[in-house]
Amino acid sequence: MNNEKKLVVAHAPYWHDGSKISTKNYNIMVAALPAVLMGISHYGAPALGVVAFAMACAMIWELIMNVAMRKPFSIGDGSAAVTGLLLGMLMPATAPWWVIALGTFIALSVGKQIFGGIGFNPLNPPLLALAMLVISFKGVFDFDEALRHYDLGFIMTYPLADLKYFGTEAISKFSLGDLVMGRQSGAIGSTFGLGLIVGGLYLILRGYVRWEISLSFLAGVFITALLFNLSDSNQYAGPMFHLFTGYTLIAAFFLVPEDSSSPANFIPMLLFGVLAGLMTVLIRNVGAYVDGVPFSILLLNLANPLLDKIRPKAIGKVVENA
Amino acid sequence: MLAYALAAILLVVGVVCYAAFPAKTPEEPVRLMFKTTAGKVLFDHKTHSADAGYGVACDDCHHEGDEPVACSECHEPDSEVKRSDAFHSQCKGCHEESGAGPLECSECHVM
Repeated sequence: MNNEKKLVVAHAPYWHDGSKISTKNYNIMVAALPAVLMGISHYGAPALGVVAFAMACAMIWELIMNVAMRKPFSIGDGSAAVTGLLLGMLMPATAPWWVIALGTFIALSVGKQIFGGIGFNPLNPPLLALAMLVISFKGVFDFDEALRHYDLGFIMTYPLADLKYFGTEAISKFSLGDLVMGRQSGAIGSTFGLGLIVGGLYLILRGYVRWEISLSFLAGVFITALLFNLSDSNQYAGPMFHLFTGYTLIAAFFLVPEDSSSPANFIPMLLFGVLAGLMTVLIRNVGAYVDGVPFSILLLNLANPLLDKIRPKAIGKVVENA
Repeated sequence: MLAYALAAILLVVGVVCYAAFPAKTPEEPVRLMFKTTAGKVLFDHKTHSADAGYGVACDDCHHEGDEPVACSECHEPDSEVKRSDAFHSQCKGCHEESGAGPLECSECHVM
Protein backbone atom coordinates (compact mmCIF):
# COMPACT_ATOMS: atom_id res chain seq x y z
CA MET A 1 0.00 0.00 0.00
CA ASN A 2 1.43 3.31 -1.03
CA ASN A 3 0.80 5.80 1.76
CA GLU A 4 2.60 8.67 0.11
CA LYS A 5 0.55 11.83 0.22
CA LYS A 6 -0.29 12.73 -3.39
CA LEU A 7 -2.66 15.62 -2.97
CA VAL A 8 -4.18 17.48 -0.07
CA VAL A 9 -7.44 19.23 -0.77
CA ALA A 10 -7.87 22.17 1.54
CA HIS A 11 -9.86 25.36 1.37
CA ALA A 12 -9.05 26.90 4.70
CA PRO A 13 -6.41 26.67 7.36
CA TYR A 14 -7.33 24.16 10.01
CA TRP A 15 -6.10 23.88 13.51
CA HIS A 16 -6.72 21.41 16.24
CA ASP A 17 -5.76 21.99 19.82
CA GLY A 18 -6.17 18.35 20.74
CA SER A 19 -9.29 18.75 22.85
CA LYS A 20 -12.95 17.94 22.26
CA ILE A 21 -15.69 20.49 21.52
CA SER A 22 -17.16 19.90 24.96
CA THR A 23 -13.78 20.61 26.60
CA LYS A 24 -13.53 23.84 24.68
CA ASN A 25 -17.03 24.91 25.68
CA TYR A 26 -16.53 24.08 29.34
CA ASN A 27 -13.31 26.11 29.22
CA ILE A 28 -15.23 29.06 27.76
CA MET A 29 -17.68 28.79 30.65
CA VAL A 30 -14.83 28.76 33.15
CA ALA A 31 -13.25 31.78 31.45
CA ALA A 32 -16.53 33.68 31.66
CA LEU A 33 -16.95 32.88 35.35
CA PRO A 34 -15.12 35.92 36.85
CA ALA A 35 -17.31 38.35 34.90
CA VAL A 36 -20.48 36.39 35.71
CA LEU A 37 -19.63 36.18 39.40
CA MET A 38 -19.02 39.93 39.53
CA GLY A 39 -22.44 40.49 37.95
CA ILE A 40 -24.08 38.16 40.46
CA SER A 41 -22.24 39.84 43.37
CA HIS A 42 -23.59 43.22 42.17
CA TYR A 43 -27.16 42.34 41.35
CA GLY A 44 -27.70 39.24 43.50
CA ALA A 45 -30.24 36.49 42.94
CA PRO A 46 -31.98 38.16 39.97
CA ALA A 47 -28.69 38.07 38.01
CA LEU A 48 -28.12 34.43 38.97
CA GLY A 49 -31.69 33.72 37.86
CA VAL A 50 -31.15 35.33 34.45
CA VAL A 51 -27.91 33.46 33.76
CA ALA A 52 -29.14 30.09 35.04
CA PHE A 53 -32.48 30.38 33.26
CA ALA A 54 -30.79 31.42 30.00
CA MET A 55 -28.44 28.44 30.10
CA ALA A 56 -31.25 26.01 30.95
CA CYS A 57 -33.56 27.43 28.27
CA ALA A 58 -30.82 27.28 25.63
CA MET A 59 -30.14 23.63 26.41
CA ILE A 60 -33.85 22.80 26.36
CA TRP A 61 -34.37 24.58 23.02
CA GLU A 62 -31.39 22.69 21.61
CA LEU A 63 -32.94 19.43 22.75
CA ILE A 64 -36.32 20.36 21.28
CA MET A 65 -34.73 21.35 17.98
CA ASN A 66 -32.76 18.08 17.91
CA VAL A 67 -35.99 16.13 18.35
CA ALA A 68 -37.89 18.27 15.82
CA MET A 69 -35.15 17.94 13.22
CA ARG A 70 -34.51 14.27 14.00
CA LYS A 71 -30.86 14.82 14.69
CA PRO A 72 -28.63 13.29 17.37
CA PHE A 73 -28.89 15.02 20.74
CA SER A 74 -26.13 17.58 20.99
CA ILE A 75 -26.55 19.32 24.33
CA GLY A 76 -23.66 17.26 25.67
CA ASP A 77 -21.15 19.29 23.63
CA GLY A 78 -21.80 22.34 25.82
CA SER A 79 -22.39 24.62 22.84
CA ALA A 80 -25.99 25.42 23.79
CA ALA A 81 -24.95 26.07 27.39
CA VAL A 82 -22.30 28.54 26.20
CA THR A 83 -24.83 30.29 23.94
CA GLY A 84 -27.24 30.58 26.87
CA LEU A 85 -24.48 31.77 29.20
CA LEU A 86 -23.30 34.46 26.78
CA LEU A 87 -26.84 35.67 26.12
CA GLY A 88 -27.46 35.79 29.87
CA MET A 89 -24.27 37.82 30.32
CA LEU A 90 -25.54 40.35 27.76
CA MET A 91 -28.83 40.87 29.63
CA PRO A 92 -29.65 43.28 32.44
CA ALA A 93 -30.34 41.59 35.77
CA THR A 94 -33.95 42.70 35.51
CA ALA A 95 -34.66 40.94 32.20
CA PRO A 96 -38.09 39.24 32.35
CA TRP A 97 -38.15 35.43 32.05
CA TRP A 98 -40.09 35.51 28.78
CA VAL A 99 -37.40 37.67 27.15
CA ILE A 100 -34.84 35.02 28.14
CA ALA A 101 -37.04 32.21 26.80
CA LEU A 102 -37.61 34.09 23.54
CA GLY A 103 -33.97 35.15 23.20
CA THR A 104 -32.61 31.67 23.70
CA PHE A 105 -35.16 30.31 21.23
CA ILE A 106 -33.99 32.83 18.61
CA ALA A 107 -30.33 32.05 19.32
CA LEU A 108 -30.72 28.29 19.17
CA SER A 109 -33.27 27.92 16.39
CA VAL A 110 -32.92 30.92 14.06
CA GLY A 111 -29.29 31.51 14.96
CA LYS A 112 -27.99 27.98 14.91
CA GLN A 113 -30.10 24.87 14.35
CA ILE A 114 -31.86 25.86 11.14
CA PHE A 115 -28.45 26.27 9.54
CA GLY A 116 -27.45 22.77 10.60
CA GLY A 117 -26.21 23.17 14.15
CA ILE A 118 -22.77 23.75 15.55
CA GLY A 119 -20.22 24.89 13.01
CA PHE A 120 -22.76 25.92 10.38
CA ASN A 121 -24.15 29.14 11.79
CA PRO A 122 -23.25 32.16 9.63
CA LEU A 123 -24.18 34.61 12.40
CA ASN A 124 -23.22 34.69 16.04
CA PRO A 125 -26.27 33.13 17.79
CA PRO A 126 -26.25 35.14 21.06
CA LEU A 127 -25.70 38.38 19.14
CA LEU A 128 -28.47 37.61 16.65
CA ALA A 129 -30.83 37.06 19.58
CA LEU A 130 -29.58 40.19 21.34
CA ALA A 131 -30.02 42.35 18.23
CA MET A 132 -33.59 41.10 17.71
CA LEU A 133 -34.44 41.64 21.38
CA VAL A 134 -32.88 45.13 21.49
CA ILE A 135 -34.92 46.18 18.46
CA SER A 136 -38.12 44.59 19.79
CA PHE A 137 -37.95 45.50 23.49
CA LYS A 138 -36.01 48.74 23.84
CA GLY A 139 -37.14 49.31 27.42
CA VAL A 140 -35.67 46.02 28.64
CA PHE A 141 -32.22 47.00 27.34
CA ASP A 142 -32.32 50.61 28.47
CA PHE A 143 -30.00 50.00 31.40
CA ASP A 144 -30.85 53.36 32.98
CA GLU A 145 -34.48 52.32 33.13
CA ALA A 146 -33.95 48.63 33.85
CA LEU A 147 -31.58 49.18 36.78
CA ARG A 148 -33.27 52.27 38.24
CA HIS A 149 -34.04 50.54 41.55
CA TYR A 150 -30.43 49.55 42.19
CA ASP A 151 -28.03 51.60 44.27
CA LEU A 152 -24.70 49.77 44.37
CA GLY A 153 -22.47 52.50 45.73
CA PHE A 154 -21.05 53.65 42.42
CA ILE A 155 -22.34 55.78 39.55
CA MET A 156 -25.38 53.92 38.31
CA THR A 157 -26.10 55.70 35.05
CA TYR A 158 -25.15 53.69 31.96
CA PRO A 159 -21.88 55.18 30.68
CA LEU A 160 -22.62 54.81 26.96
CA ALA A 161 -26.09 56.35 27.38
CA ASP A 162 -24.56 59.31 29.23
CA LEU A 163 -22.10 59.76 26.37
CA LYS A 164 -24.73 59.43 23.66
CA TYR A 165 -27.28 61.79 25.18
CA PHE A 166 -25.26 64.26 27.24
CA GLY A 167 -21.82 64.33 25.62
CA THR A 168 -18.31 63.99 26.99
CA GLU A 169 -18.93 66.33 29.94
CA ALA A 170 -21.33 63.77 31.39
CA ILE A 171 -18.74 60.99 31.37
CA SER A 172 -16.00 62.86 33.21
CA LYS A 173 -17.48 61.43 36.43
CA PHE A 174 -16.41 57.87 35.47
CA SER A 175 -12.89 56.86 36.46
CA LEU A 176 -11.01 54.32 34.37
CA GLY A 177 -10.29 52.25 37.49
CA ASP A 178 -14.00 51.92 38.25
CA LEU A 179 -14.76 50.91 34.68
CA VAL A 180 -12.02 48.27 34.67
CA MET A 181 -13.10 46.85 38.03
CA GLY A 182 -16.74 46.54 37.01
CA ARG A 183 -17.98 49.45 39.10
CA GLN A 184 -20.32 50.55 36.33
CA SER A 185 -23.90 49.91 35.35
CA GLY A 186 -24.62 47.51 32.52
CA ALA A 187 -25.34 43.93 31.57
CA ILE A 188 -24.67 41.13 34.05
CA GLY A 189 -21.50 39.80 32.49
CA SER A 190 -20.13 42.68 30.48
CA THR A 191 -19.04 45.26 33.04
CA PHE A 192 -16.09 43.58 34.78
CA GLY A 193 -13.31 44.54 32.36
CA LEU A 194 -10.46 42.91 34.26
CA GLY A 195 -12.35 39.61 34.59
CA LEU A 196 -13.18 39.56 30.90
CA ILE A 197 -9.56 40.29 29.97
CA VAL A 198 -8.27 37.52 32.25
CA GLY A 199 -10.87 35.08 30.86
CA GLY A 200 -10.06 36.13 27.31
CA LEU A 201 -6.30 35.74 27.77
CA TYR A 202 -6.89 32.28 29.24
CA LEU A 203 -8.88 31.28 26.15
CA ILE A 204 -6.24 32.73 23.83
CA LEU A 205 -3.40 30.95 25.63
CA ARG A 206 -5.29 27.65 25.57
CA GLY A 207 -5.88 28.09 21.83
CA TYR A 208 -9.67 28.30 22.05
CA VAL A 209 -9.85 31.86 20.78
CA ARG A 210 -7.90 33.39 17.91
CA TRP A 211 -5.86 36.31 19.21
CA GLU A 212 -5.86 37.84 15.73
CA ILE A 213 -9.60 38.49 15.89
CA SER A 214 -9.80 39.61 19.52
CA LEU A 215 -6.86 41.97 19.36
CA SER A 216 -7.75 43.40 15.96
CA PHE A 217 -11.28 44.09 17.22
CA LEU A 218 -9.88 45.96 20.22
CA ALA A 219 -7.43 47.77 17.93
CA GLY A 220 -10.32 48.72 15.62
CA VAL A 221 -12.28 50.15 18.55
CA PHE A 222 -9.21 51.94 19.92
CA ILE A 223 -8.04 53.50 16.65
CA THR A 224 -11.50 54.59 15.51
CA ALA A 225 -12.34 56.07 18.90
CA LEU A 226 -8.94 57.79 18.97
CA LEU A 227 -9.49 59.35 15.54
CA PHE A 228 -12.94 60.60 16.54
CA ASN A 229 -11.52 61.93 19.80
CA LEU A 230 -8.67 63.71 18.03
CA SER A 231 -11.09 65.28 15.58
CA ASP A 232 -13.30 66.70 18.35
CA SER A 233 -12.57 65.80 21.95
CA ASN A 234 -15.56 67.82 23.17
CA GLN A 235 -17.99 65.63 21.28
CA TYR A 236 -16.35 62.20 21.19
CA ALA A 237 -15.03 60.12 24.07
CA GLY A 238 -11.49 58.80 24.19
CA PRO A 239 -10.51 55.26 23.19
CA MET A 240 -10.08 53.92 26.73
CA PHE A 241 -13.67 54.82 27.57
CA HIS A 242 -14.93 52.87 24.57
CA LEU A 243 -12.73 49.89 25.41
CA PHE A 244 -14.02 49.50 28.95
CA THR A 245 -17.71 50.31 28.55
CA GLY A 246 -20.69 48.58 27.03
CA TYR A 247 -20.22 45.22 25.38
CA THR A 248 -16.70 45.88 24.02
CA LEU A 249 -14.66 43.42 26.08
CA ILE A 250 -17.16 40.57 26.19
CA ALA A 251 -17.44 40.96 22.42
CA ALA A 252 -13.68 40.97 21.91
CA PHE A 253 -13.03 37.72 23.77
CA PHE A 254 -16.30 35.79 23.70
CA LEU A 255 -18.38 36.93 20.72
CA VAL A 256 -16.30 38.20 17.78
CA PRO A 257 -13.97 35.14 17.64
CA GLU A 258 -16.87 32.63 17.55
CA ASP A 259 -15.72 29.81 15.27
CA SER A 260 -18.14 29.44 12.43
CA SER A 261 -19.10 33.09 12.03
CA SER A 262 -15.53 34.45 11.83
CA PRO A 263 -12.82 34.05 9.17
CA ALA A 264 -10.10 31.40 9.22
CA ASN A 265 -7.30 33.09 7.25
CA PHE A 266 -4.83 35.49 8.82
CA ILE A 267 -5.49 38.71 6.90
CA PRO A 268 -9.28 38.18 6.80
CA MET A 269 -9.21 37.66 10.58
CA LEU A 270 -7.43 40.99 11.05
CA LEU A 271 -9.78 42.77 8.67
CA PHE A 272 -12.80 41.18 10.31
CA GLY A 273 -11.77 42.34 13.76
CA VAL A 274 -10.70 45.84 12.76
CA LEU A 275 -13.84 46.48 10.71
CA ALA A 276 -16.10 45.17 13.50
CA GLY A 277 -14.34 47.52 15.94
CA LEU A 278 -14.64 50.41 13.50
CA MET A 279 -18.37 49.77 12.98
CA THR A 280 -18.91 49.50 16.74
CA VAL A 281 -17.51 52.98 17.39
CA LEU A 282 -19.20 54.42 14.29
CA ILE A 283 -22.60 53.26 15.55
CA ARG A 284 -21.84 54.54 19.05
CA ASN A 285 -20.66 57.95 17.85
CA VAL A 286 -22.90 58.69 14.90
CA GLY A 287 -25.48 55.89 14.80
CA ALA A 288 -28.87 55.58 16.43
CA TYR A 289 -27.99 52.98 19.06
CA VAL A 290 -26.19 53.49 22.35
CA ASP A 291 -23.97 50.44 21.81
CA GLY A 292 -23.04 49.23 18.34
CA VAL A 293 -21.62 45.83 19.27
CA PRO A 294 -24.47 43.50 18.23
CA PHE A 295 -25.07 45.20 14.89
CA SER A 296 -21.43 45.74 13.92
CA ILE A 297 -20.46 42.13 14.51
CA LEU A 298 -23.56 40.73 12.78
CA LEU A 299 -22.78 42.91 9.78
CA LEU A 300 -19.23 41.59 9.66
CA ASN A 301 -20.56 38.04 10.14
CA LEU A 302 -22.39 38.55 6.85
CA ALA A 303 -19.19 39.70 5.20
CA ASN A 304 -17.25 36.75 6.64
CA PRO A 305 -17.48 34.41 3.60
CA LEU A 306 -16.28 37.22 1.34
CA LEU A 307 -13.47 38.18 3.67
CA ASP A 308 -12.22 34.60 3.71
CA LYS A 309 -11.91 34.71 -0.08
CA ILE A 310 -9.23 37.37 0.12
CA ARG A 311 -6.00 35.86 -1.17
CA PRO A 312 -7.59 32.50 -2.11
CA LYS A 313 -5.28 29.50 -2.07
CA ALA A 314 -4.90 26.98 -4.84
CA ILE A 315 -6.50 23.62 -4.13
CA GLY A 316 -3.88 21.31 -2.79
CA LYS A 317 -1.94 24.05 -1.02
CA VAL A 318 -2.24 23.84 2.72
CA VAL A 319 -2.09 27.11 4.57
CA GLU A 320 -0.12 26.79 7.76
CA ASN A 321 -1.87 29.19 10.06
CA ALA A 322 -2.58 27.33 13.24
CA MET B 1 -25.85 12.75 31.43
CA LEU B 2 -23.85 15.58 32.97
CA ALA B 3 -25.40 18.02 30.50
CA TYR B 4 -28.94 16.86 31.30
CA ALA B 5 -28.27 17.15 35.03
CA LEU B 6 -26.75 20.61 34.51
CA ALA B 7 -29.77 21.74 32.49
CA ALA B 8 -32.17 20.49 35.17
CA ILE B 9 -30.23 22.14 37.99
CA LEU B 10 -29.93 25.44 36.12
CA LEU B 11 -33.64 25.38 35.31
CA VAL B 12 -34.53 24.89 38.98
CA VAL B 13 -32.09 27.63 40.05
CA GLY B 14 -33.47 29.99 37.39
CA VAL B 15 -37.11 29.36 38.24
CA VAL B 16 -36.49 29.65 41.99
CA CYS B 17 -34.59 32.94 41.54
CA TYR B 18 -37.36 34.40 39.39
CA ALA B 19 -40.10 33.17 41.73
CA ALA B 20 -38.47 33.98 45.05
CA PHE B 21 -36.82 37.27 44.12
CA PRO B 22 -39.24 39.18 41.88
CA ALA B 23 -38.34 42.73 40.91
CA LYS B 24 -39.51 44.97 43.72
CA THR B 25 -39.95 48.70 43.75
CA PRO B 26 -38.23 50.12 46.83
CA GLU B 27 -40.39 52.05 49.27
CA GLU B 28 -38.39 55.20 48.64
CA PRO B 29 -37.39 55.39 44.98
CA VAL B 30 -33.71 55.41 44.03
CA ARG B 31 -34.12 56.71 40.51
CA LEU B 32 -37.28 57.32 38.50
CA MET B 33 -37.68 57.11 34.76
CA PHE B 34 -40.40 59.44 33.49
CA LYS B 35 -41.64 58.53 30.05
CA THR B 36 -42.84 61.56 28.13
CA THR B 37 -43.65 62.40 24.53
CA ALA B 38 -40.44 64.44 24.41
CA GLY B 39 -38.31 61.49 25.50
CA LYS B 40 -37.45 59.76 28.74
CA VAL B 41 -36.22 61.64 31.79
CA LEU B 42 -34.11 59.88 34.41
CA PHE B 43 -34.57 61.53 37.80
CA ASP B 44 -32.19 60.68 40.61
CA HIS B 45 -34.61 60.77 43.53
CA LYS B 46 -32.11 59.58 46.11
CA THR B 47 -29.48 62.20 45.30
CA HIS B 48 -32.09 64.94 45.45
CA SER B 49 -33.56 63.84 48.78
CA ALA B 50 -30.50 62.57 50.68
CA ASP B 51 -28.74 64.89 53.10
CA ALA B 52 -25.44 63.88 51.53
CA GLY B 53 -26.88 64.87 48.15
CA TYR B 54 -28.92 68.01 47.52
CA GLY B 55 -30.92 67.64 50.75
CA VAL B 56 -34.26 68.69 49.27
CA ALA B 57 -37.02 68.28 51.86
CA CYS B 58 -39.78 65.81 50.95
CA ASP B 59 -42.54 68.42 51.17
CA ASP B 60 -40.70 70.79 48.85
CA CYS B 61 -41.94 68.56 46.03
CA HIS B 62 -44.58 66.32 47.63
CA HIS B 63 -46.67 69.29 48.77
CA GLU B 64 -49.97 67.51 49.46
CA GLY B 65 -50.85 65.24 52.39
CA ASP B 66 -48.92 64.12 55.44
CA GLU B 67 -47.14 61.27 53.67
CA PRO B 68 -45.45 61.82 50.28
CA VAL B 69 -47.61 60.63 47.42
CA ALA B 70 -46.48 59.99 43.86
CA CYS B 71 -46.68 63.08 41.62
CA SER B 72 -48.90 61.33 39.09
CA GLU B 73 -51.54 60.69 41.77
CA CYS B 74 -52.72 64.26 41.33
CA HIS B 75 -50.94 65.56 38.24
CA GLU B 76 -52.58 63.66 35.42
CA PRO B 77 -52.46 64.60 31.73
CA ASP B 78 -55.89 66.26 31.88
CA SER B 79 -55.81 67.67 35.43
CA GLU B 80 -55.73 71.37 36.19
CA VAL B 81 -51.98 71.40 36.55
CA LYS B 82 -50.79 68.82 34.04
CA ARG B 83 -48.01 66.44 34.93
CA SER B 84 -45.63 68.00 32.41
CA ASP B 85 -46.35 71.55 33.66
CA ALA B 86 -45.92 70.47 37.27
CA PHE B 87 -42.58 68.82 36.57
CA HIS B 88 -41.28 71.63 34.42
CA SER B 89 -42.15 74.30 36.96
CA GLN B 90 -40.89 72.21 39.89
CA CYS B 91 -37.62 71.02 38.31
CA LYS B 92 -36.65 74.08 36.34
CA GLY B 93 -37.93 76.45 39.03
CA CYS B 94 -35.72 74.86 41.65
CA HIS B 95 -32.73 74.64 39.31
CA GLU B 96 -33.07 78.34 38.43
CA GLU B 97 -33.54 79.33 42.06
CA SER B 98 -30.51 77.41 43.25
CA GLY B 99 -28.43 78.22 40.19
CA ALA B 100 -27.64 74.52 39.70
CA GLY B 101 -28.99 71.72 37.61
CA PRO B 102 -30.11 71.39 34.00
CA LEU B 103 -32.44 73.88 32.33
CA GLU B 104 -32.27 72.99 28.65
CA CYS B 105 -34.62 70.31 27.25
CA SER B 106 -31.83 68.04 26.03
CA GLU B 107 -30.13 68.11 29.42
CA CYS B 108 -32.94 65.96 30.85
CA HIS B 109 -34.95 64.52 27.98
CA VAL B 110 -33.45 61.71 25.92
CA MET B 111 -35.15 60.13 22.91
